Amino acid sequence: MSIESIDPDEVDAADILGSAIERREDPALITGDAEYTDDIQRQDMVHMAICRSQHGHAKLEDVDTSAAEAMDGVVTVYTHDDLHREDTPGGGSYSLPVGWLLDSLREVDHPILADDRVRYQGDAIAVVVAEDRYLAHDAVDAIDVDYERLDAVTDPVDALEDDTAELHDDAEDNVAFDWEIGDAERTDEAFESAAHTASIDLENQLLIPNAMEPRAAVAEYSPGTDELDVFMTSQNPHLHRLLMSGVIGHPEHKLRIKAPEVGGGFGSKIHHYADEALVAWIAKHLERPVKWTATRTETYKTDAQGRGHRTTADLAMNEYGDIVGLRVDTTANLGAYLSTFAPAVPTYLYGTLLSGQYDIPAIHCSVTGAFTNVPPVDAYRGAGRPEASFVIERLAKLGAEEMGMDPAAFRRRNFVPEDAFPYETQVAVVYDSGDYEKTLDKALEMADYESFRERQEQAREDGRYLGVGFSCYIEACGLAPSELAGQLGAQAGLWESSLVRFHPSGTVTAFCGTSGHGQGHATTYAQIVANELGIPYEDVEVVEGDTDEIPHGMGTYGSRSAAVGGSSLVKSSQKLVDKAREIAAHQLEADPADIEFEGGEFRVTGAPDRSIGIKAVAQQSYLAHDMPEDMEPGLEATSFYDPDNFVFPFGTHVAVVEVDPKSGEIEFDQYVAVDDVGNQINPKIVEGQVHGGVAQGVGQALYEGAEYDSNAQLLTGSMQDYAVPKAMHIPEMETGSTVTESPHNPLGVKGVGEAGTIAAPQAVVNAVVDALEPFDVDHVEMPMTAERIWNAVDGRTEPDAETETPAAAADGGTDDPDTAADGTGGDS
Amino acid sequence: MTEHDITLTVNGTDHELTVEPRTLLVHALRDELGYTGTNVGCESSLCGACTVHLDDDAVKSCTVLAVQADGATIETVEGLAEDGEFHPVQSGFQEEHGLQCGYCTPGMMMAATDLLEENPDPSREEIREGLEGNLCRCTGYQNIVNAVENAADEMHAGAVADGGCPADAADGSGSCCGSDAGDVRWPEDGGESE
Amino acid sequence: MEFSGTFELEETTVDEVWLALSDPVLVEQSLPGCEFLIRVDDTDVDFDELRDETTDREVEPTADPEVIAERAFEEGGHYAALMQISVGPVNPTFETVVTIDHREYPEMSAVGEGSSSNSSFEMSSGMSLSETDDGVAVEWETEADVFGKIAQMGQRVVNPVANRVVKRFFSSVQDQLRERQLAAEGDATADESDPTESDRGLVDRVLGRSGSDSSDS
Repeated sequence: MSIESIDPDEVDAADILGSAIERREDPALITGDAEYTDDIQRQDMVHMAICRSQHGHAKLEDVDTSAAEAMDGVVTVYTHDDLHREDTPGGGSYSLPVGWLLDSLREVDHPILADDRVRYQGDAIAVVVAEDRYLAHDAVDAIDVDYERLDAVTDPVDALEDDTAELHDDAEDNVAFDWEIGDAERTDEAFESAAHTASIDLENQLLIPNAMEPRAAVAEYSPGTDELDVFMTSQNPHLHRLLMSGVIGHPEHKLRIKAPEVGGGFGSKIHHYADEALVAWIAKHLERPVKWTATRTETYKTDAQGRGHRTTADLAMNEYGDIVGLRVDTTANLGAYLSTFAPAVPTYLYGTLLSGQYDIPAIHCSVTGAFTNVPPVDAYRGAGRPEASFVIERLAKLGAEEMGMDPAAFRRRNFVPEDAFPYETQVAVVYDSGDYEKTLDKALEMADYESFRERQEQAREDGRYLGVGFSCYIEACGLAPSELAGQLGAQAGLWESSLVRFHPSGTVTAFCGTSGHGQGHATTYAQIVANELGIPYEDVEVVEGDTDEIPHGMGTYGSRSAAVGGSSLVKSSQKLVDKAREIAAHQLEADPADIEFEGGEFRVTGAPDRSIGIKAVAQQSYLAHDMPEDMEPGLEATSFYDPDNFVFPFGTHVAVVEVDPKSGEIEFDQYVAVDDVGNQINPKIVEGQVHGGVAQGVGQALYEGAEYDSNAQLLTGSMQDYAVPKAMHIPEMETGSTVTESPHNPLGVKGVGEAGTIAAPQAVVNAVVDALEPFDVDHVEMPMTAERIWNAVDGRTEPDAETETPAAAADGGTDDPDTAADGTGGDS
Repeated sequence: MTEHDITLTVNGTDHELTVEPRTLLVHALRDELGYTGTNVGCESSLCGACTVHLDDDAVKSCTVLAVQADGATIETVEGLAEDGEFHPVQSGFQEEHGLQCGYCTPGMMMAATDLLEENPDPSREEIREGLEGNLCRCTGYQNIVNAVENAADEMHAGAVADGGCPADAADGSGSCCGSDAGDVRWPEDGGESE
Repeated sequence: MEFSGTFELEETTVDEVWLALSDPVLVEQSLPGCEFLIRVDDTDVDFDELRDETTDREVEPTADPEVIAERAFEEGGHYAALMQISVGPVNPTFETVVTIDHREYPEMSAVGEGSSSNSSFEMSSGMSLSETDDGVAVEWETEADVFGKIAQMGQRVVNPVANRVVKRFFSSVQDQLRERQLAAEGDATADESDPTESDRGLVDRVLGRSGSDSSDS
């Protein structure tokens, strides 16, 4: 049931938008021609390696680099003080900035080379530069660091305790911020008047992103021109340029950041880290090209991790099962320092999504951010939204149980109704559009939910435990408009910029400020631009990821590229067409208002034989022999598109699992994903994004988790110990979609990059808990390892006699699939 | 450190090079010989991104020393396509959207060709198990499994049509029977003509 | 991480074992990978200097209580050791300093720390001796924190290493005790020794009739 891809040559130009064409990126990638950062070679290039802390928390007593410096092939070794010497390039902050501020935020210093204190294992202490990469690593081992170990903490709740050692002098009790959203008083009232409540304590564990390509950078400097070129694994080169310019003190206009082919990011290549700044600074100081590529061990110790919440949440319902209130209290792990967008993730990207797909009249959420001795925690695929969806969807399961209602019916009853959009939630966002029943209905049908309860019943009689789990998720992408982002604390605008340029011969280059790293932008953007300009798809080239070529840009994250970058390309194309229309009118001796544009042709209304193609117009614009008065030659247009609002994709995922209480093993019976991401530019790419997202969500549910010992030593520091799912760990997925267009962007698109990751964890947990209902299990923490399942059923292989009764009662009562499909809430 | 002179035949070309005893095969291929299509994902044989064929067997080139490979014949992703035509595994990956960021893809394809050599008609389950040494973080594997199935069908069709193959494409290509580019890359063409 | 176990030494007495384990020279020679173990004045140790000092030294194994008493571990004393331990693919040499914080027949405990270029550990250990039917039981326990590269390899790798070190140590102690006994027997009662008995005992000991285990913390 997977979508079949199409050869672009077989698609009519008019149908290019929305066609599942094969990706144009692929030939370079499948032949080995693609150039990733570590593939770059330069004459006279040196290699950098970093000496990192052995301890999670320690004072640096002494750093002796003499043995390393004396080694053959070692060019030099730098420590903190070298950044501030008179004979090294100066003017930088040499500390990493934070790009999102909150009122209560304690901005702590984050030096790129540790001064006298290290706060997590990845903290950089010294940097070796050597003639080859092996020597650089040898020399790192020869650096003698004398530590005075300090007590460490890795759990955010523990970090806030009075007697816990503090990480930063200016963050009392390790509090990074206190933040709240919603109406506490009204929520308390809702709970006081509630007929039923459901509660949960949960941990949303720390995850390690694990992009397959480790972070890397190559920098080269031209002393004659003062130009510093940095090739690096970046999701947002312009943002990196701005930040790095301040960190190393090199002027922004003399700094070029280019993202070559980038092997995945999932958020981890958004942030500005110390390492890439050091590569650039050293290239400038030594006036030699410098390369650094993280080892996998380094990515485990330094890539910003994701999630890391400890949460208590309660749901209040009236006597009919209508949700009347939601209260959430979360402690978020921020790690040792504030990463680039860290403060936004557990606040505005989390609290604002807690209403889920539901019409909830009173919500309050408080979040405390805590410093701990783990790597900085920041955006990882989903970033705040998976955590929010997990909370509300786990509560929806428990709420339905509390009411004795079918979980699908309970959700349906509480959905924001289709005619209520745009819908303003109690947590400060306005859902632009939605039709939640549509995705639920489709998912129920694909999962054959009607017959499921019967199958479940029969299986239980045979001593087999099947469970179904729902996740009716919402995501928000393309955070906008910039004015709102500014009010919320963003230190950047969240528009997107593009330039569409006709060449005199009639082909087009489209430049966009997003920076893809596997999402297929070269294909989808070309589809968009070809459609707007009415020219063949193959005549459009797409350029991303280079600050020297692209006017400006905010990058690729938060599922924003299609909605914001794609829309920007539409805007630029439209501006270009507007100019072309005037040239065409001039050439056709008609009024521009009388010129129609369709399929790449300008025609005079009512006189269709008087026409000129846009390619001919482009040629005329560059010849400039006969242009409208006062019009400049050339045909190109730039836009800075600032959306009116976020877009809010949604969907329903259904997991059906079988759990073996004897072994604790979980097997997938079925995984259904129905997503509504608005219009789809390329359905095959959309499907691929859903697959990959679900796999990471399943990974969180079943396999992944960063574990530390009490000294903040990472115990899951390799792919052997941290279970990145393999092919046999991921279920076959059945995907479906519905289309509810976004009303406020020109493409009617939403976003899909994170949908699966947001949706999957709670679908799987809900399914497992449903399967274990006879054992009275109401929660299992992620990752749901066999050991955790086994402990949850407490060694029982058969349910207790009395616990089966309520399940049976529920089956006889409201677990009627017909009722579920019709909705029990006739009065809602 | 003492250095060693070794010979590697990579994708049919002989190379002589001097390496340290500890130089990994993947670094010799990438840094010394410029075969950068093979990627390094973990340096500990866990991710499979660096998979190449060493004397016809798939190996993780980050756990083979270059000196161990002295005299060996190595095939990397750069050697998969022949005479400008994609190997069925390559076209399978493109047609089925079996790659996103592409970083794991060269290793994944080298593992897949080895898998199909051993088992020309694997079930989906067998493909998943056969690729257990290769991690992908983007695709969720489903389209990779589709890609390998697609390649198996294509190779099977090629083998069945052996006699009808253009002679120039059938030479020495082992399990893969090359046919014209249209057939290999775009099966839809074939579908329409049937 | 916590490790603990009981090692049974046969055909010996608590006194003999106490004497043996009180002797830094015997301990040095029994510890696998130990280059030296010597008394130092304080915990701030220059290992380069010690390495030079110890290259040509001569240490005499002995069973003479008088000699051992001279050099025996002392409560409050500090001892420096250089030990190479192979852990998985790496063979770090640990510069280790140990302080005996309690020593009272038949119990002894110590705290210490060791560091190599990319790994380090901190530990506290205790042991007590008790008489059994046919020998002495050494009950030992160690609580260790490991840092850096070795910590990253995880308990999966570190546990077997710890067990291996402990097992080799006590096997060696057992061998040395046996050698002393044989020497003593040879001196005093050579005529009365029963070869069959003695052989069986030797076989048992070579087999290391002992038990040790470790548990996760």
